[in-house]
Amino acid sequence: MPRLETLSELQRRTLEFFPCLEHDDTPWVALDKPLSKCKVALVTSAGLHLRDDQPFTRDTPGGESTYRLIPSDCDPSDVVQSHFSIGFDHTGIYRDLNVTFPVDRLRELKDRGDIGSLSDNYYSFMGALRDASTVINETGPEVACLMKAEGVEVVLLTPT
Amino acid sequence: MSVLARVFEEHGIATVTIAMVREHAAKVKPPRALFVPFFFGFALGRPCDPEHQRQVLRSAFHLLKATEGPVLEDFPDDSSPAIMPQASQVDADAEQAKRSAADEVTALRAFYERWLDNHGGRTAVGLCGIPQRRFRGVIRFLEACATGDDAADMDERPDGVSRPQFIRYCVDDLKAFYYEARMEQHQDADEDSLHRWFWGSTAAGKLVADLAATLNQSEDPVLRGAAYGLAR
Repeated sequence: MPRLETLSELQRRTLEFFPCLEHDDTPWVALDKPLSKCKVALVTSAGLHLRDDQPFTRDTPGGESTYRLIPSDCDPSDVVQSHFSIGFDHTGIYRDLNVTFPVDRLRELKDRGDIGSLSDNYYSFMGALRDASTVINETGPEVACLMKAEGVEVVLLTPT
Repeated sequence: MSVLARVFEEHGIATVTIAMVREHAAKVKPPRALFVPFFFGFALGRPCDPEHQRQVLRSAFHLLKATEGPVLEDFPDDSSPAIMPQASQVDADAEQAKRSAADEVTALRAFYERWLDNHGGRTAVGLCGIPQRRFRGVIRFLEACATGDDAADMDERPDGVSRPQFIRYCVDDLKAFYYEARMEQHQDADEDSLHRWFWGSTAAGKLVADLAATLNQSEDPVLRGAAYGLAR
């Protein structure tokens, strides 16, 4: 996103007053081996899903806190987006899925040996949630357990 | 995204987050975040530019070498901010009101299908479940909704999808159909010209703007909610 000072007052105030959580510290996992030896997963908050999967919806009070599973060997033509934020430009992802969900780029990095391996499954959430408590306490830990069970060591998170 | 990074890290998985709002990342403190100065919708920078996207990824993964956090670094890029005009900011051309959205759909179909052929079938169309060759019916449905006909509906609306939600899916599919057809027709068109064409020159753009205005006047808060973001 362009720096806040470059935006209109309305855009700037909307982002400044977005109810994001504030922390004093951060959890930390020390990575004891190079990326070329790690299994990597991709998680996005871009509201993506497979074409025949259930789209995300605005009907859930407080926001959609569920997630969708997208196989890492998916055909990019099978992935669509049902994100409800009004603040982003769809033309980028119309042109190239990788600008939000870099499936091809990660495959290239794996093929070049920069990444050890890719997880079988990637995951997609809905971003811009005003109440993230269900994601923090339920669906986020659920996905973390699924990735742990698959041996994932590094997660790349992308927004839209 | 940043809150998910914290959750995953708490479960023992190292994370790298691409952050679009630096100020939010500074508050939430994900373990490792790369701030990118691109407009929302362009997290990895330029579409169809693999080398540029690889630079972003290399910068993100480089943060894994840090020994303590939180780490918040900026991706060096001098891209100027993209501005995404919304319907109300675009002047309509003199012919827009005379055009037919149904006829536009028919006229754009060949370009849309060529887009599919040239992109391996990749398309953002596909939320409402109605094939694009039947989008004239979607147009008639949305036109009825825009006149305030609260009984207007489509047999194709899936069970479990509310009518307001279905309206949103139809509009998102229609926009994607138009933009992809236009990008095929004018392959050098930039984002700004695409938005100005849709909102200022097409009957569909006017239809969506009219629909948003009608829904916004509804006494039903769910319908008003469906209007949120339609016209941009």
